[in-house]
Amino acid sequence: MAYNIPDRYQDLTPAPQLDKKTLNKMVWLSCFLQASFNYERMQSCGWLWGILPGLQKIHTNKEDLKASMAHNLDFLNTHPFLVTFVMGIVLSLEQNKADTKTIRSVRISAAGPLGGIGDALFWLTLVPITAGLTANMAMDRQIIGAILFLLIFNVVQFIVRFGLMYWSYGLGTKAVTLLTANAKEFTRAASILGIFVVGGLIANYGSTTVRLIVGETQINIQSLLDGVLPKLIPLLITLGIYVLIKKGWTPVRCIILILVVGIVGCAFGIWSGNSQVTDENGNALLGGYTPLVEWYEYPEPAPAEKTGQEAWDAVNAVVESLQEAGIDVSMPE
Amino acid sequence: MDISIIQAILVFVVAFIMGIDQFSFLESLYQPIVTCPIIGAILGNFELGIVVGGAYQLMQIGSMPIGGAQPPNAIMGGIMATVFAVSLNMEATPEGVGAALGLAVPFAVFGQYAVTLTFTFMSGMMAKADKYAEEANVKGIRNINFLEMGVLGCLFGILAVAGLYGGTALGEALQDFARDFSWVMAGLDAAGGAMKFVGFAILMKVMMSNEMWGFLLAGFVMALLCSANSSTSGATLLLCAFVGVAIALYDFTTQTKIKQNAGAGAGYVGGDQDGI
Repeated sequence: MAYNIPDRYQDLTPAPQLDKKTLNKMVWLSCFLQASFNYERMQSCGWLWGILPGLQKIHTNKEDLKASMAHNLDFLNTHPFLVTFVMGIVLSLEQNKADTKTIRSVRISAAGPLGGIGDALFWLTLVPITAGLTANMAMDRQIIGAILFLLIFNVVQFIVRFGLMYWSYGLGTKAVTLLTANAKEFTRAASILGIFVVGGLIANYGSTTVRLIVGETQINIQSLLDGVLPKLIPLLITLGIYVLIKKGWTPVRCIILILVVGIVGCAFGIWSGNSQVTDENGNALLGGYTPLVEWYEYPEPAPAEKTGQEAWDAVNAVVESLQEAGIDVSMPE
Repeated sequence: MDISIIQAILVFVVAFIMGIDQFSFLESLYQPIVTCPIIGAILGNFELGIVVGGAYQLMQIGSMPIGGAQPPNAIMGGIMATVFAVSLNMEATPEGVGAALGLAVPFAVFGQYAVTLTFTFMSGMMAKADKYAEEANVKGIRNINFLEMGVLGCLFGILAVAGLYGGTALGEALQDFARDFSWVMAGLDAAGGAMKFVGFAILMKVMMSNEMWGFLLAGFVMALLCSANSSTSGATLLLCAFVGVAIALYDFTTQTKIKQNAGAGAGYVGGDQDGI
């Protein structure tokens, strides 16, 4: 990162309120939040694309627009249907020319928690209910199921998108003016919140684990590590990359390193990874994949526990054989 | 089943659009309940498409793409299940089309590989995005978004058309290939899962100072505790944010009070210290 994002914008006069047309345009573009989704920054580039109409209106100074665009490419992952809430807040901060550090901290703090809320609202509630209802219509050969599904889902989606944009933009512009008097203290408080949430993100999204099972007694290395500190590996990798980036490594170099370590590691069966491949019987492969070099034995899964019916039958058989032998036993109710 | 060139083109177009829609745009067109009837109509059996869509949708409800986890791809699965149901002339009942869902699994897996590869490749493109941002190049940012949508759409289109012509034989070949090289895809999966740490590290670099390390670890612990409990795990990040807000607000009020006091009593403070 040759370009150093300045702490403050050059032009510090607050920009005029954004007009409805620009806000609406950003709501439509917010549908493309994940258009350039990737593993490193997730939704960042789609986010920037969506919020650009507003940024261009706010930052008439070209240098400020550059700075704003650069810091709006930070890692971002939020729920695609709730993103306009984050947009409204960030736009109100940008409009009042808050410190870039403040905007970055507030953005990640607002975006992170929305992910879980959105999953619960949409993927775990709205979709199962509407899809469950309409799938039954479809299996009765009625196309109305598909039409109803699309209608309900998209009406809800766009009410949420538009509603959140206007609500949070109004809320943000009101709140921000109160904070300008104590901008320095606010930046500090926002950084505390931001770093707290980043700590939470590491534990919440960090999924890297090891697959290794070693020794005669088949010691599961991952459960040993979990005993030391759960999510130890995600924490260590993040700190390691933080050190590398401080040393001047570019993000691309870090990504290539991760790619090489990931694939070479899986060749030797070190990392857990899901290849989604199934064997001849349609079961998932042992341990998620077959390493190129198999130098340790991955254990077969333990046989499934007996089902309730099987256990019941077994008890019944014992009772019957006892009764046949002339011993008086009766089954409890 | 004879497939005309027009049908192949239409299937490509539908797969192209759905490949994009699974992450962007309406994010609902791609659901099997919508995709399968369209494919069915193209192949000349609309009703069968509706039934396959309903059956696939029910199977799909349990595996939503939550929190970055990617189940086998519903779009490729839905398209190919319809193709097989139509070409094998299956009965238009939920039981009748069951086999088609199974035959489509290898394609669903390869659909997921296409997504994984695209997301990995686009991680590398973020350096380009940084450069466009520094130049305030609005069109450049837009084009990066177009690029991924184009790549993803084409991969899905090609896979669907290949499946249309290759049929079950191609499905088996793909499955054998995947079994031999499962470690490569698992490696990409593992690496993809770790790439977000680069994004986290960049954020840390912005906000970190020596006194902030404690807050980073506190947030880490908070998330660990919340996610360990099944009744709070769904709301982990929200709960984290609540605690974070409490700390940040407290710090904000304390710091502003210190500043006010320092401003009001500057003379006294100075005097005392001079005296000492």
